[in-house]
Amino acid sequence: MARKGNPARVSFSVGKVSYLLEKGDLSPVEALEILRQQEEQLAFRGEEEKSRLLLEQALQELDALVGLEPVKKLVRELQAFVQVQQLRRQEGLLTEPLVLHMVFMGNPGTGKTTVARILGKIFREMGVLRKGHLVEVERADLVGEYIGHTAQKTREQIKKALDGILFIDEAYSLARGGEKDFGKESIDCLVKAMEDHKDNLILILAGYQREMAHFLRINPGLRSRFPIHIIFPDYTMEELLEIAELMLRQREYQLDKGAREEIIKILQRSSGAAVENPGNARLVRNIIERAIRRQAVRIVGQEKLEREDLMTITREDIGDGEEE
Amino acid sequence: MKECLVIGRANVGKTLFVLNFAEFLGRNEIDLVIRFPNGFSTAKRYTIDRARRELTGLGPHKTRCLQSVQLDIPYGKGRKRVQLTDTTGLIDTIHQDVEVRRAIAQTLNAIRQVDLLLHLIDPRGIDRAGARAALGEVDYQVAQFAQLRGRYCILANKMDLPGAREGLQRLMRELPGQYIIPISALYKRGFKEVKTFVSRHS
Repeated sequence: MARKGNPARVSFSVGKVSYLLEKGDLSPVEALEILRQQEEQLAFRGEEEKSRLLLEQALQELDALVGLEPVKKLVRELQAFVQVQQLRRQEGLLTEPLVLHMVFMGNPGTGKTTVARILGKIFREMGVLRKGHLVEVERADLVGEYIGHTAQKTREQIKKALDGILFIDEAYSLARGGEKDFGKESIDCLVKAMEDHKDNLILILAGYQREMAHFLRINPGLRSRFPIHIIFPDYTMEELLEIAELMLRQREYQLDKGAREEIIKILQRSSGAAVENPGNARLVRNIIERAIRRQAVRIVGQEKLEREDLMTITREDIGDGEEE
Repeated sequence: MKECLVIGRANVGKTLFVLNFAEFLGRNEIDLVIRFPNGFSTAKRYTIDRARRELTGLGPHKTRCLQSVQLDIPYGKGRKRVQLTDTTGLIDTIHQDVEVRRAIAQTLNAIRQVDLLLHLIDPRGIDRAGARAALGEVDYQVAQFAQLRGRYCILANKMDLPGAREGLQRLMRELPGQYIIPISALYKRGFKEVKTFVSRHS
């Protein structure tokens, strides 16, 4: 069956194709045609080129995250480091060992897991890891209930994560129970795995900054094995507002002046000393979702509703940010 | 866990297929994970009956997001867990509603990322359209794209309706060599073959 082809728009990124589709500048048929042409090109150019394109996509994904500038910079540094080491090896020069175990420190909702996932993709495409998948675990997945159980559970998770990344959330909880706790056994098991599988496993320990720093201080053996420390800063007020407005734009809502002021007030209050985890994207999402529900309740009984009314979030909808 | 995407034109019966396939595999209740085009997601528990009542309809574009359900499919002596994802229906032209356009963009984004594609086609349309341009443009493009990727199967749906048999013949001529399973999502016919295909490729 012969069909007419669409002229070259093959170089469009996935994001651009989506954008044009949403805007109505591209029909689904045209979009599919572009996807098909890209797929054909990938098949034609072979595996190496495919990796390059996928790497580019992963880096684009990273760049699309709001804020996180220090993290992005460090990821670029890592990427360059790995690339140069690979080139040096090809030339027969001495190479630094690629120890890429990391510690991620930051409050919840600052993007630690998201960045870890993207790193997995980046390392896969660079040939550092064969699969680059992320296995996310916490204390309960690693620590057992009786003697011998912990090593077995930890080894199981390590096995799952081979050729990818083992991401241990709230890693400091492994050292929570003191000397007699099985968490110690798990740490020993992880250290052994880091030696045994140094070429095909990357370990990431994640958690609150203060607790993680303490955890590494009391386990000096661990500290020396994790050369890369990344601090995930809380979002600034401007970034949080940017996130809030982005979320609302995506849902076709808008803030009036009062609502904007109210959000700033809530964010300022939550970044005060009384709150454990200040500025994070999850807080903004909760405020927005609640505001949308409250706006619905406010306007549902009104007789005449304009388009503007359906879109606008007012000060009253934001409320004091607390659930009633 | 592998993800299996169910795609096709609007109103071809994707949602009904997903729900009835879940029921076919022994589920009375499902946890539906709903992923909206703006990146938000939520989960909801439905009985299959309620889901059929609320999520399927006669008009096009009832589904405007990705809706996933996890299913255990028997394979050999064990089981394989698969995430079956329902999508927004595709159309040939540009839809006037921005929400639908956004949902279609989400579907097309997902197409590239999943492990397995089940492409629902209503063969009766092929029969009506006439000889040359028998298979609609959007179905043709999906088929071309998916064939390059592999792990792809066409489900010729609505085989219980008159005219479907002739349409199926035409479909097979249009896409020679393509694996096509005739099904009726409504009456759960052909589901055994679908189950075999999905479990083999997951």
